[in-house]
Amino acid sequence: MAIMTKAQAKNFAEMDDFMLDLCDFLKSKGVIDAKVHRRILLSGFFRLVEFLQEKKIINSREAKEAMDKGFTTLVYALAK
Amino acid sequence: MYGWAGQRLRVDLSTGTITKEPLSYEYRRKWIGGRGFNSDIIYNEVPPNLDPFDPKARVCFGVGPVSGTAAPSTGRVTVTCKSPLTGGFGDSNMGGHWGAELKYAGYDQIIVQGRAKHPVYIWIDDDKVEIRDARHLWGKFPREADQMIKEELGDEDIHIVLIGPAGENMVRFACTFNDVWRAAGRTGHGGVIGSKNLKGIAVRGSGTVKIANPKAMMDVCNRLRQAFKPDPMKIGLYEFGSLCLINVANRDGWFPWRNFQGGAHPLASNMAGETHAKTVLKHREGCYACPICCGRFTHIKEGKWAGEEFGGPEYEHAVPTGPRVGIIEDANDIWHNARLTNDYGMDGIETGGVISAAMEWYEKGLITTKETGGLELEWGNAEVVDKLIPMIATRKGFGAILAEGADRASDKLGLGDEGHYYTLTTRGMTLPGDDPRGLGFGYGLSFAMGTRGGCDHLRSLCCLELSGALYPGLNTKLLGDERPNKPVTTVGKPYMVYYEENQKATTDCLQVCCFTTHWSYAVLTPDQVEYLNAVTGLDFTEEEFQEIGERVYNLERAYWARQMSGAREDVVPERFTKEPMPQGVDYQTNVGVVFPLSEMLKKYYKYREYEPGTGFPGERKLKQLGLDYVAKDLAPLRSKYLSESEKKKKKYYY
Repeated sequence: MAIMTKAQAKNFAEMDDFMLDLCDFLKSKGVIDAKVHRRILLSGFFRLVEFLQEKKIINSREAKEAMDKGFTTLVYALAK
Repeated sequence: MYGWAGQRLRVDLSTGTITKEPLSYEYRRKWIGGRGFNSDIIYNEVPPNLDPFDPKARVCFGVGPVSGTAAPSTGRVTVTCKSPLTGGFGDSNMGGHWGAELKYAGYDQIIVQGRAKHPVYIWIDDDKVEIRDARHLWGKFPREADQMIKEELGDEDIHIVLIGPAGENMVRFACTFNDVWRAAGRTGHGGVIGSKNLKGIAVRGSGTVKIANPKAMMDVCNRLRQAFKPDPMKIGLYEFGSLCLINVANRDGWFPWRNFQGGAHPLASNMAGETHAKTVLKHREGCYACPICCGRFTHIKEGKWAGEEFGGPEYEHAVPTGPRVGIIEDANDIWHNARLTNDYGMDGIETGGVISAAMEWYEKGLITTKETGGLELEWGNAEVVDKLIPMIATRKGFGAILAEGADRASDKLGLGDEGHYYTLTTRGMTLPGDDPRGLGFGYGLSFAMGTRGGCDHLRSLCCLELSGALYPGLNTKLLGDERPNKPVTTVGKPYMVYYEENQKATTDCLQVCCFTTHWSYAVLTPDQVEYLNAVTGLDFTEEEFQEIGERVYNLERAYWARQMSGAREDVVPERFTKEPMPQGVDYQTNVGVVFPLSEMLKKYYKYREYEPGTGFPGERKLKQLGLDYVAKDLAPLRSKYLSESEKKKKKYYY
């Protein structure tokens, strides 16, 4: 499921500090609600990956790669 | 009730009244304990216009629900007041065993208010609480008074918090010690305690802490103790104490040389932990239930200070009256100065900060021996530092001016803005021994945003940029990116500081040592939640845990907002944002760096939902955190802060 375009993914990948912007974007797309948005910011990146995998927006291989290699891998996975 | 004792003690020294106040479930769930309980009291009971030395001011000592249990390092205590140094919110935190003993005596918090007619100390013996004469203890160093009280009460095993002569003389950065050497150093609460004619608080507790699920508790504690065994930071801290940072600081250019004129020096290793261990370390010490045991006990064997011994020093205790004042050749001078600040009961960081400011004023010709009473304040003059420390503590001569803190001293001397340039403070408190041009951009951001006067490493203690590289994958797990584990980068730092500040605040509510959760990351938030729930029988989640930290942080920020302190005061000393780091050693890694605060500040504000113009906590966030009354307090102040008359005021302290 493509949540963003490749151009948007590139934009996020080039950010110095991406967490808030990415969470805001996902909320604007209806992928996460306000409660999950807050939960992710309080708990950390792994909570975002966990949520996206639970909702089958990313698969287990993509989730593992995101945890191994970081958010740039995740945003390109969301742009597939 | 599990975990908590369920009550706090309120002692009014004016009337001699001692009251026990129950703590409701809702209150305990909202604030947990320690820093949370204390911050709530100070916000609600110490108004912004009250002089910190007024008898109506409060000073609070708080512990948490896991204090006194087998969870790692659960002996800590937060001490909170309105700071006489900054005029704003102030707290500090100390290790040792006193916190656990207070819990065994049956209390989660002590609030002291009023002023005794003559010096007294408080004696807590389980449910018996007395106010006892301390006139014979007044003027004594903590190590002397500790022994005298133990002899008087006939028990070597009691634990005592004490002020030294500096607190009795209301030095604005006086501090407290428990178990003689374990300091709660910052923000000047020792002076507040001294203003109440209170010498200290002795505790004996014969009770215990009820654990809801003992098996679950032992399982998590055993697991965590095993996790510490191979932990790289634990190993370094055990072997060499926090002085293990000296060589790293020198390499990465955050070693505070001559009031941060430089960040490295060829002789830095004279005071490194490795050298200390070979030359003056008598033994290692640990706090209650601590698997790290970073504490040192120093015995000077040679030279003019031979025979002196004391508990410590920590990195942050040694560098201010060492390299920051230009002393590095003879490390025994550094150990001696650390012992002096202990004996007199002063914050070592602020003491070194004010002396180094004075040295720079002297260097730049802003003051001369006329103002100093003949003292030649040259860099590295160990003899003059040895004289000045007692002079500050006893408010004699030039020491009386310095006892007011660097910014007030600058104003008393009529040095104008140029004087303030060299005080290196934010909101009136000086920063510790970590140059943000080296360690690091996250630290620097938290210096500007710290809620106890800024310029303070222990508000976020964002060690994800200090020791994060020792824990591969941790930065990615929490922040989504490994790159923030480098100190000199802005990448990921706004989120890092937001996350670590919340985490540290809740850790302070639990009253566990942050060295187990920052520096060492052997304990992570899910582990803390696990042992908290095992002790209390409750169902805290990780999100609730972090949210409590966010609540405490916003309450403290609001305390500053009530003092008309906000966005304009979110700064770090200009030396760091304007002066490129010079080279001190040829292997230094940060030559030429300046600290880019403004690049990170805007994004950090968004994480915190601070208003862009005022920097005040936003109304929506305050209500989300259950702080509606705080939102109401701040509503009429927002436009006042933005008024032209407020904008013109240059506030170095409050």
